[in-house]
Amino acid sequence: MQSGLESLFVLGTSHHKTPLDVRERFALTVDQTNDLQAQIHVQEGVRECLVLNTCNRLEIYCTVTSSSSLGMVRALLCKAQGISELLFEQYAYNYANLDALQHLLEVSSGLDSQMIGETEILGQLKQSFASARKDQCTGKIFNRLFEKSFQAAKAVRSKTNISRGQISIGNVTVNLASRIFGQLNQSRVLLIGSGEVGEKTALALKSRGVDDISVSSRTLENAQKLANSLGCATINFEDCTSHLEYFDIIICSAASPKIILNKTALRCAMNQRPERPCFLIDLALPRNIDPAVDSLENTYLYNLDDLSSIANENLYARRNEVHKAREILKKHAWSIWLQVRRREQILSVGDS
Amino acid sequence: MFHQIAMTDRDLLVVAFAIYGCAFLYGLSFLLLRRPYSRVAMLIQLSCGFFVQTLGLNLRGTTIKAWPLGNPFEVAQFIAWSLVLLFLIIGPAFRLRLLGFLTAGLTTLIAGGSLAMHSWDHPYPLGIFGSNPWIEIHAALAIFSYSIFAILSLISFMFLVQRHGLKKKQFRGIYQILPSVQQLDLMAKRLLFTGVLFLSASLIFGAVFWANNFDLVPVFKLTATCIIWIGYLCVFTLRMQRKLVTRRHAIATIILFIMALFSLWPVESARGPELIDKSSVAPQF
Repeated sequence: MQSGLESLFVLGTSHHKTPLDVRERFALTVDQTNDLQAQIHVQEGVRECLVLNTCNRLEIYCTVTSSSSLGMVRALLCKAQGISELLFEQYAYNYANLDALQHLLEVSSGLDSQMIGETEILGQLKQSFASARKDQCTGKIFNRLFEKSFQAAKAVRSKTNISRGQISIGNVTVNLASRIFGQLNQSRVLLIGSGEVGEKTALALKSRGVDDISVSSRTLENAQKLANSLGCATINFEDCTSHLEYFDIIICSAASPKIILNKTALRCAMNQRPERPCFLIDLALPRNIDPAVDSLENTYLYNLDDLSSIANENLYARRNEVHKAREILKKHAWSIWLQVRRREQILSVGDS
Repeated sequence: MFHQIAMTDRDLLVVAFAIYGCAFLYGLSFLLLRRPYSRVAMLIQLSCGFFVQTLGLNLRGTTIKAWPLGNPFEVAQFIAWSLVLLFLIIGPAFRLRLLGFLTAGLTTLIAGGSLAMHSWDHPYPLGIFGSNPWIEIHAALAIFSYSIFAILSLISFMFLVQRHGLKKKQFRGIYQILPSVQQLDLMAKRLLFTGVLFLSASLIFGAVFWANNFDLVPVFKLTATCIIWIGYLCVFTLRMQRKLVTRRHAIATIILFIMALFSLWPVESARGPELIDKSSVAPQF
């Protein structure tokens, strides 16, 4: 039997190898994520597991007692996603032991993020860890590893400038909106969905003078809650697609498995306002706006990948910081690895 | 008062060209450094060039005792002058970024090109427009409307560049300095209206002359002018009906301006000796 750490692995897909249109096929809902985590945890040979599901990555961290468990985890993941293992293999990666730990540290510190240095991933990782811990999918090893990875992420941020000069999605959106409309104080914004990134984007627009914001969500309660925090109005989800012509900027961040705004709906709206441009921001995964909409005249559609690549354009200036951060994390990974292994050995001696 | 100036009209126009060229190089150097230039500095340079060019054109106008529109050189100089005049009117009001730089570039090109082509500045008899003030107003308004269409094509070009950047998800570089697509489109609409208004007025004045001197206006000139006018009128009508907007509108206005420029040559060559007062004396430039 292997010790817990010797059989640590991570299996997943991320923005590095997987394009947006494939990522949205791999995407899981919150319920599906929790079900998958529970299913993996009850499998024979799995000691601890955690599923991290964000817009840009789907990763499964496991400690197992048998090396054959990787195949079983892969099969469960593909089954949950409803895709073939062959397709998954084209885009998947897996790391074991120290490499897996190094990867976890880079993920938690935002080094592996699409927008390098972003801090949101740390919150998402903490949330996933809390959820897995609550469901008792984690144990002594993961509790230590993840807590240590959060500390390492904070240490890297304080010792390097990887987040300095970081352009947020909100800032990129404001800049693009200014290139389309000039002054934003006359622009009307529709926020579909109550996602956090959408809210931040709307706040960024509001800070630049946008006054007229409407929120629409499948769950009216969520829409009202968000509208209260933004100080704006709500509109019925069913009505929003039939009133698109009134809005200059449309932000979609709804957790919908299907397209919400299709080309036909947008074409009808644009026919009503051919002279006024429409800026569409699709922050959801799977995407909420049909990519074909971009071919319509006077519409400008940007998705998560577009905005992230723009936000990373100043990465060149931070490349030394990234290198520095990676070196710090390597030291942290070694230190954590040795600590946990020592602890494992002590525990195993105690058990025997 | 301008008779006191020691320089000839051509010397003044060369100085004006040099100032416009400096303004263009000033803007270009900043753009190559990917930094926005000072609008005030650009405005001052173009104003200086405009002032000197006005002196030059005024000297020539005083010599021929009419609007200096008698040969291709003067027509080109007048277009360049009107272009800067229009920029000085709309530039500070609408604060469209890069418009000053592009105006300086186009003006340098037109003024420099006309100075380089010595054959354009050929002598012509005094009183080329006869003693009829209608035809003189017609010519001045027509050339002024062409300068409006020149600015319109510059704005349309800027629109297409900005639109391209937005569609192709380009973020850095010149796109950050260009005005927004909505501003450019709105400006293009207003300029199209103004240009059509001036061109129509020009044709009305021309028609008054034509009605009284039916045989003096060559059919070729009339046809070329009317085609351009109908072209702009069609674009304007379609724009008002919201059938020709944004990208297609920008392309249409650029194509029409190129056609308008080319039409100047047939119009010029069609200017027959019929219009010339035979008793006048040809000035030597």
